[in-house]
Amino acid sequence: MDQNKSSTKEYRQIISCILDVGELLLKNGAEVMRVEDTITRLCDAYGFSSSDVLTITSSILLTAVAPDGDIITQTRRIKSRSTDLSLVGRVNALSREIAANPMPSDKFTNMLQEAQNDKVYSRRTIFITYGFVSAIFAVFFGGDFVDGIAAFISGLILYIVQQLGGKLRMNSTLLNTLCSAITAFVIVVLLHIGIGHHSDKIMIGNIMLLIPGLALTTSLRDLINGDTISGLLGLFEAVIKAIAIAIGSALVLQGLGV
Amino acid sequence: MFDMFIEVLMAGLGSAGFAYLFNVHGKKIAWTGIGGALSWLVYLIVMQMSGDLFVALFAATLSIVVASEILARVIKIPVIMMLVPMLIPLVPGGTLFYSMQALISGKNLQFIGYVQSLALQAAAIAVGMIVGTAIMGNFFTFYYRAKAQKISQKITEQS
Repeated sequence: MDQNKSSTKEYRQIISCILDVGELLLKNGAEVMRVEDTITRLCDAYGFSSSDVLTITSSILLTAVAPDGDIITQTRRIKSRSTDLSLVGRVNALSREIAANPMPSDKFTNMLQEAQNDKVYSRRTIFITYGFVSAIFAVFFGGDFVDGIAAFISGLILYIVQQLGGKLRMNSTLLNTLCSAITAFVIVVLLHIGIGHHSDKIMIGNIMLLIPGLALTTSLRDLINGDTISGLLGLFEAVIKAIAIAIGSALVLQGLGV
Repeated sequence: MFDMFIEVLMAGLGSAGFAYLFNVHGKKIAWTGIGGALSWLVYLIVMQMSGDLFVALFAATLSIVVASEILARVIKIPVIMMLVPMLIPLVPGGTLFYSMQALISGKNLQFIGYVQSLALQAAAIAVGMIVGTAIMGNFFTFYYRAKAQKISQKITEQS
């Protein structure tokens, strides 16, 4: 009887670990299908006789029947997302490893912790990259070299505003509006002192860093793939974000008459 | 011609830059850069040949899906690690911005035009991704099956 209880507890822990894997994947930019596949694969590896998983962009729901007959349901709510493809790669490799030879839950937890100890770029590198990416896309969308320089400067300022806003735990929609408004203001000032020629090209260069073009595309893919709820959620998030960004820049650019 | 060269170069650099932001490390950054440049090269060539935005974007997406699926298997990483940064130059960020600007400044006719173009572009990329993934999935299934058959044949011959 006692042993039975401990095995039930162990299975619950394992389900929790499997959901951790799913959460890490979903949070860091993996697509819905991959998350569901991974969770199902892991459940199979641990000998759960059936597993039903529903993943949408904001939550994961998993019900599985343990080998001892216990039915376990757990849910995860995903609130914030960012893109860390390195972490997705490592968690994915780890999940394959565990599916090949399942291990007890405490070891599983430790390995997940290790996988999260990530090599990340320093803030300075990201700061400079923001500048370069802005400049590159300003030129890509048809701006000239001087527009690139203007985009570089405003891209750096965009990063500072974004970081400060993040520290203040600002509402993310509002933060996007603020970021694009301040960037637009910086561009107006730069144009005024003679750096840059096309305000729209410079603005697009900066906005490529904020605008949810990728989210829009992937949500459409989800819709066509049959993950309708995820697709609609992604689409609406993208549209709201796009409107927030456009309001910020349009207010400033039109308010100052550029 | 020079403009096109600059665009291709910037697409490559842009993809590589986004690879940094998505925390990709090492040689993989160079690969994403090459993929990004490839995508825009294919886009420009097909655009010249067909003159159709949908076809051009579809072909460009297909080319990088194929490239990233093969690369991912060669260097043993998940496909999205290559695909997501490579997609960035194709993503309709510019059109999205112009459409929202038109919406806010009340230019309704322009807004409708931009939204139409936006839907078309996003759909072209999405369909390209789905078709590419399906083709490559089938291709690799056959490839691995053929490989497994060869190995099993060898074993039976030896025994």
